Amino acid sequence: MAAPTSAPQTLKFTGSKYLIQRLVLATLTGRAIRVSQIRASSHTSPGLAAHEVSFLRLLESITNGSHIEFSYTGTTLLYKPGLITGAATGHGLTTGGAIRHELPADCTRSASYFLIPLCLLAPFSKAQMNVLLTGPGVITSATETGDVSVDTIRTAILPLFKSFGIERNLELRILRRSNAGRDGKGGGGEVQLVFDHQVRLPKTIHLLDAGRIKRVRGVAYSTGVAGANNARLIEAARGVLNDLVPDTYIFSDISSAPLVAGLEKNNPGAKRKTGLGFGLSLVAESNTNMLYSADIASLPAGGEAPEDLGRKCAYQLLESIEAGGCASGVAATSVLTLMAMGSEDVGRITLSKDVVGSEQVVQLARDLRGFGMSGWGMREDDDGEIVVSIVGKGVGNVGRKIA
Amino acid sequence: AQTLHGQSRPYRVTELAKMMYDDMLSTVEVISRWRGEVDGDATMGENEQDDGFFKRKEDTANSDEDRMVPKLDYESLEDKWTNDDNIKALRHRFASTRVTGANAE
Repeated sequence: MAAPTSAPQTLKFTGSKYLIQRLVLATLTGRAIRVSQIRASSHTSPGLAAHEVSFLRLLESITNGSHIEFSYTGTTLLYKPGLITGAATGHGLTTGGAIRHELPADCTRSASYFLIPLCLLAPFSKAQMNVLLTGPGVITSATETGDVSVDTIRTAILPLFKSFGIERNLELRILRRSNAGRDGKGGGGEVQLVFDHQVRLPKTIHLLDAGRIKRVRGVAYSTGVAGANNARLIEAARGVLNDLVPDTYIFSDISSAPLVAGLEKNNPGAKRKTGLGFGLSLVAESNTNMLYSADIASLPAGGEAPEDLGRKCAYQLLESIEAGGCASGVAATSVLTLMAMGSEDVGRITLSKDVVGSEQVVQLARDLRGFGMSGWGMREDDDGEIVVSIVGKGVGNVGRKIA
Repeated sequence: AQTLHGQSRPYRVTELAKMMYDDMLSTVEVISRWRGEVDGDATMGENEQDDGFFKRKEDTANSDEDRMVPKLDYESLEDKWTNDDNIKALRHRFASTRVTGANAE
């Protein structure tokens, strides 16, 4: 059951949405996929976007034997996954055992767009996962395109893996911060993900009690702008939250703007500053160690007061807490994917109706079934939340078993 | 009772379980139906309009990309969370010092 058949059929998908999710599932299950009609109806930018191509390159560098084919216009993609090798020696390694991956300057997505799928692949890697994201496209803040900041990954996504028995040597180093550059494109940040706990199969989880919120932590960051913005963000967020959670502490991180090579014809050596701005990441923790997060960052165009953003972030956090469940919308897809990869046992998790009834989760359920995973069982519990039970398929570490 | 049974109640888990794997429905339709926002005809009509120029433009701008943080209407959120009743309703989710129950730490 678990071992892939000799010639598994290529799975077919359409559209650019959920592309990353499907690529991750394809890599985990070892099934080839063909995605067609990627932005085929777009007149201005058909085909794969810069960040998607970059993610494919990243997949290529952390796997061995992957085969990627684009059509001429980039609207069709064929991906045959290889084994997830991680940062194995002699395999594209340059700096200190880390795979160096440069993001292009026209990347509009935050580094988390790359890091979250990496975190899903990393537990099933052969060697440790050690990836350094660098280059003129690394945005560490939250973005307008709906990505979370890297701080949220560090404080709200990585701890999720603990319940799956994946907890040793997980580290996300934020080496240089950057907000989104002009027009929301590019940044100059640098992040390193070290994920050094590989498992055969993730543990089966039973998360049923969401508990009560006992503390809120957060990080306010300013890059290249006055540190007073941090204080103003924090003050506004605390103004909303203090009444509910006395134990609220928000760190303040102030850094100068990163310098990236400026693309000027008459002065090729010139550097310019990019990624100015500020933002806030909030994480609420319950007494049963469930996490809810909220993220916001200043728009590249500016024009919003830190007070407004701070309040908005706090409201976003309250929304997420109100929705409840054992995983927020941000974390749900990661948790559910790991559950499906688990051993052949029933794992259970309580999720809010808003989370289960979101497009992402419904699509994930369908995609998982498409990849040969079992269907989900759902029932309502006493609090009006949904208990999702997933039988793992034990495909967990395909690569490890073969290699 | 007739009216209750006549229209499907929104947010029923069994309904969602049924629709989740029904490939005839798109995910957007599944969710809007589950929430009881629109009946079947309305969603079909909307899809037909998709061919219009403006609709498509909007599609490429919004729904073609994956988002982690949903787009929220912050003005209505501000109204919601400055309302005392809503705050009170949420208070049971917090283990603050004021509600010392068995669950408080």
